Amino acid sequence: MLLPAEMVAGEEALASRGAPAPRAASGGARGEEVLRVEHIAKSFGATTALRDLSLTLRKGEVLGLLGDNGSGKSTLIKIICGFQKQDSGQMFLHGEPYEPKSVDDARAHGIDTVYQDLALVDELSVYHNMFLRRERVHAPIPFLSNAIMSREARKALDGIGINIPRLDVPVARLSGGQRQAIAVARTVYGEANILLLDEPLAAMGAKEGGMILELIERLKQEGNVSILMVLHNYVHVLATCDRVNLIQDGTIALDKPTAETSVEELTEIVVEEYRRAREAAIAADAAAHAAGPSASR
Amino acid sequence: MAVASGSNASAEAPSGGPASTGRTLGQEASSLLRRFLTLREGSIIIVTIVTTVYFMVNANGFATSANFKTLLPYFAPIAILGAGEVFVMINGEIDLSIGAVYLITPFFFYKLASNGVPLVPAVIVSLIGSGLIGFVNGFFIAVVGISSFVATFGMLFTLDGLTLVISHTAPVSTPGTSAIHVNTFAQVFGGGIYSELIWALAIVVILQLVLTFTRWGIYTVAVGGNRLGSAEAGVRVRLVLIRNFIMCATLAGFVGVLEAVRTVTATPDPSGSNEILFQGIAAAVIGGTLLRGGSGTVVGALIGALFLGVLHDGLIIKGVSADYLDLYLGLAIILVMSINVFVQRVRTGSGVG
Repeated sequence: MLLPAEMVAGEEALASRGAPAPRAASGGARGEEVLRVEHIAKSFGATTALRDLSLTLRKGEVLGLLGDNGSGKSTLIKIICGFQKQDSGQMFLHGEPYEPKSVDDARAHGIDTVYQDLALVDELSVYHNMFLRRERVHAPIPFLSNAIMSREARKALDGIGINIPRLDVPVARLSGGQRQAIAVARTVYGEANILLLDEPLAAMGAKEGGMILELIERLKQEGNVSILMVLHNYVHVLATCDRVNLIQDGTIALDKPTAETSVEELTEIVVEEYRRAREAAIAADAAAHAAGPSASR
Repeated sequence: MAVASGSNASAEAPSGGPASTGRTLGQEASSLLRRFLTLREGSIIIVTIVTTVYFMVNANGFATSANFKTLLPYFAPIAILGAGEVFVMINGEIDLSIGAVYLITPFFFYKLASNGVPLVPAVIVSLIGSGLIGFVNGFFIAVVGISSFVATFGMLFTLDGLTLVISHTAPVSTPGTSAIHVNTFAQVFGGGIYSELIWALAIVVILQLVLTFTRWGIYTVAVGGNRLGSAEAGVRVRLVLIRNFIMCATLAGFVGVLEAVRTVTATPDPSGSNEILFQGIAAAVIGGTLLRGGSGTVVGALIGALFLGVLHDGLIIKGVSADYLDLYLGLAIILVMSINVFVQRVRTGSGVG
């Protein structure tokens, strides 16, 4: 692990968000910038998902990403993990330009994802799902090493504390929480050092959700991985994340350490957004009436 | 898949054998029966055995070695076609052009061999041609985004038409074969009595291993089961689709060559090849492969083909009039599929127990 002298962690990196930052070598100490996203824009036809989004993820931190439904959180995740390509803007990984060509490519760069839809294949066994695209095979005939995969999958699931009696059954037969745990386990116990978690608690009950939060807490203590996590529940954000970014209108509207914000402040910002949206709608309505029906949108 | 779940189950919980001393023989047998029935191929195996026994008892001359040889051509080529189709169907797609590829490939072979290309290289180049057809299918489906039903349906007519054009609608005698003497080339490529059977068994075994024990197989199931999810996990969906279409078409072309060598002629008859297409798909479906994708077995297609062969052959030996043959075949297929669905429900524990 190198510690480049020009890298300054903490408040300055935050202040210089958006501006070209000094380059850094791979690795680095806790608090150092690992991933920087600059001026990302992405549209799907007439819908603008992201307008101009910039954020920074630092080593060892858990960054919470908040935003209304359809605000572009999942789109951002899918761009970082190489599943989609941005229309404009750049990304930097450890200071180097980062342009993932595919999900595999992003994974090779140490970035892995838990998708909102979990990306599990119902018909495949638990361990085949856990090792999808990372299958262990024998040599020289590349037959799958099911025994090894089964054993390692068991270890990973035990690490989370989730109980799945048999790992050779199709995941279709498992509960929502168990499926979620498999998706989280396969990402967390991979080789990635940047984890993108899109709603990792979505399908979970309180007990299973608690296990995942505990796991994230443990990873934070170890300090080796950096986590960008989409969450809906403000209490979870404040309890688990070091910092919170809030997406509004396709850009980051708020960037604060969780210690300096509260459920009330976050709620107020979102309520304010609704209020503005409503006022804008009323204004547009009024304008349309004034100009006659032909000018209405 | 069935092979995998069987072996894993024994690895995880060593239930059979010396560990289970406390169990009675009856319990052992019933658990074995249940294990067997829970195989995807279990129900069709039983149906095939019942059908075979029925004809052995009721049709004079069914249980003879001469009849076994008669049965082979009804069964082995269909098993190979079904094996290729299984991969495409597990992908959640369908290939309707296998009959047409089966039809045209012997004419590739004929053109090459009659222009001086040695026999074996001519077969290989013809099969590369079939593979290219599969690539074109896969390209239109995976890259352009046409549904496989439409793309391969179009390919069916294109190839049928092309076959009629290049053959001038006239049958040709297959190069390297003669009606009087079966040489080594013909022995190997379909002319030998057991040639097609050996090819079918070898191909089915290899492809079942590929499906159960390799990445190719896992990705095939993944793409059929959850296309978006497997793409998100990094599976190259287009590649998986295209290579399965290539494999399916290549096997269809190979069956075309085998049959052309066996029958000593290549006949440009699209109605005959359409029947082959339906039998290939029927074998896969009867063998437990789902049309909606995500699940299926190659061994099932082999047994499905065997069932179709036994039924066809048995009905003929029983002296059923040719007019009734298709009627009985059709009804039998519906009946077998109903039993299959019922057993599947029992297996997955959803409803009816």
